[in-house]
Amino acid sequence: MTEASLNVDAITAGYRGRPVLRDVSLSVPEGKVVGIVGPNGHGKTTLLRCISGMLPLSSGQIVFRDRILKGLAIEKIAELGVIHIPQGDLIFPDMSVRDNLLMGAYMPAAYANVEQHLNAVHDLFPVLLERRDQIASTLSGGERRMLGIGRGLMCGGRLLMIDEPSLGLAPIVIEQIYAVLNELKREGRTILLVEENAARMLDLVDDIYLLDHGELVWNGTPAEFEERQEVLETYLGADL
Amino acid sequence: MEAFLQILFSGLTLGAMYALSAVGLTLLWGVVGMLNMSQGVMLAIGGYASYSAITYLGLPWPLGLPAAIIGGFITGLVFYHVMVRWMYRAPAFEVNIIIATVGAAIVLESLMIRVFTGYPLDQPFSLPGGFRIGGIQLPFQTLINLSVAGIMTLGLGWLLRSTRLGRAIRATAQRRDAAQLLGVPVARVYLQVMIMAGIIAAISGVMLTASVANLSPYAGTNPMLKAFFICAIAGLGNIPAAVGASLILAFIEGSIQYSVSARFGFPTMLGLAIVVLIWRPYGLFGQRTVERS
Repeated sequence: MTEASLNVDAITAGYRGRPVLRDVSLSVPEGKVVGIVGPNGHGKTTLLRCISGMLPLSSGQIVFRDRILKGLAIEKIAELGVIHIPQGDLIFPDMSVRDNLLMGAYMPAAYANVEQHLNAVHDLFPVLLERRDQIASTLSGGERRMLGIGRGLMCGGRLLMIDEPSLGLAPIVIEQIYAVLNELKREGRTILLVEENAARMLDLVDDIYLLDHGELVWNGTPAEFEERQEVLETYLGADL
Repeated sequence: MEAFLQILFSGLTLGAMYALSAVGLTLLWGVVGMLNMSQGVMLAIGGYASYSAITYLGLPWPLGLPAAIIGGFITGLVFYHVMVRWMYRAPAFEVNIIIATVGAAIVLESLMIRVFTGYPLDQPFSLPGGFRIGGIQLPFQTLINLSVAGIMTLGLGWLLRSTRLGRAIRATAQRRDAAQLLGVPVARVYLQVMIMAGIIAAISGVMLTASVANLSPYAGTNPMLKAFFICAIAGLGNIPAAVGASLILAFIEGSIQYSVSARFGFPTMLGLAIVVLIWRPYGLFGQRTVERS
């Protein structure tokens, strides 16, 4: 097994003392794509928020490349290379597309290579080059998602955590976005991907975790998942 | 013609003053979500910093401005470390900070009365003389005020629009969480903005007390109120609009004062603000305020 980039070890966390995640452990190996699936509201986003430092842990430990993340500020965790691309459209609405992308390269290491990052993002999402002077709030839903992902790529991080990249988008746009994710995988990026539905990510991921009511209930390869899909769906009472 | 020039010049003088004050307010509101009720005393602090440097330290008068800048820097620093940094994460920050800055204003005003007495003083930072255009006296001080206001607002606009710091400031204002996830240390951004606002207020305090008002602990109160109305009319958080609205309102105020009576200037502004806000609740150029998470 390759060396782990991220190790989440038995974390428990929640809001106002009510745990949303219970005893969750997972590991993302270097250069691999790991998917987390599960019904909405079962802690997938909370897990990413814990890793990026937005939510404190009640117990457990998160280690990224031999660094313990507990107690670090959000921006410090980002500086280590953990890039959280949040759910929905958390782009900067009143800034141009270009300024949004430049904000992605805010950190000094990324800013030193800003042109290079910008070209790479424009190659992946040509539409962001076409619309570079447009105000972000005037973009379509799909374009916003591309901007959000592109902005995250500008950071030049070592681990990309992408929360529901296909949520609420038309099938054709989802295809475009997954084509980019495949491209990133070919480049050897380490990715932690969260989706409600597993079908889309089966061809992409190396490893799947199932999250149900804040607990990881199953873990395996996409092939194993397909074999047992019906059993898992019955167990969870949801389409995966 | 003479009357027109008179109104034009006094409008420009007042407008430049209002613009500086309004830009400081709108910056803090737009970025930090802070309605700064201490703006008035921050203006006075700038005026007194300049006064002290020239009168007590015996520095040449042009050095009053750098002295005010240092005073404003310290004021911003203190405001951040004493209040903002402990409060900005709380959900009710926008209300809490209004009350906190009212309190700070009372404390600082009392301190200034204690140190400098409440007696109105002359601002020694001033360039006497002027020249005449079309039978109207145009004081050099007015030109200084106009240039300072122009340089500061353009400079601030440039900084916000085109620099890495400026982008980080705007990003923090629009989506604090997202900015943090990109590595922006938002606490430091807030500190930087507080310092900028302190400096802007201090400089405009010097310009104010050098031209249209005497130096007293209350010198900034009236301009602060007017700056609030200007920001409300322009739409809070919008710097070019704040400058535009400052000039327009100053001209209207000047015309009313000239043609009707000096005492109707301020009420007219108020009336205008009310009408605009009924018609367009987010101000003339404003959008719905960004919702903070």
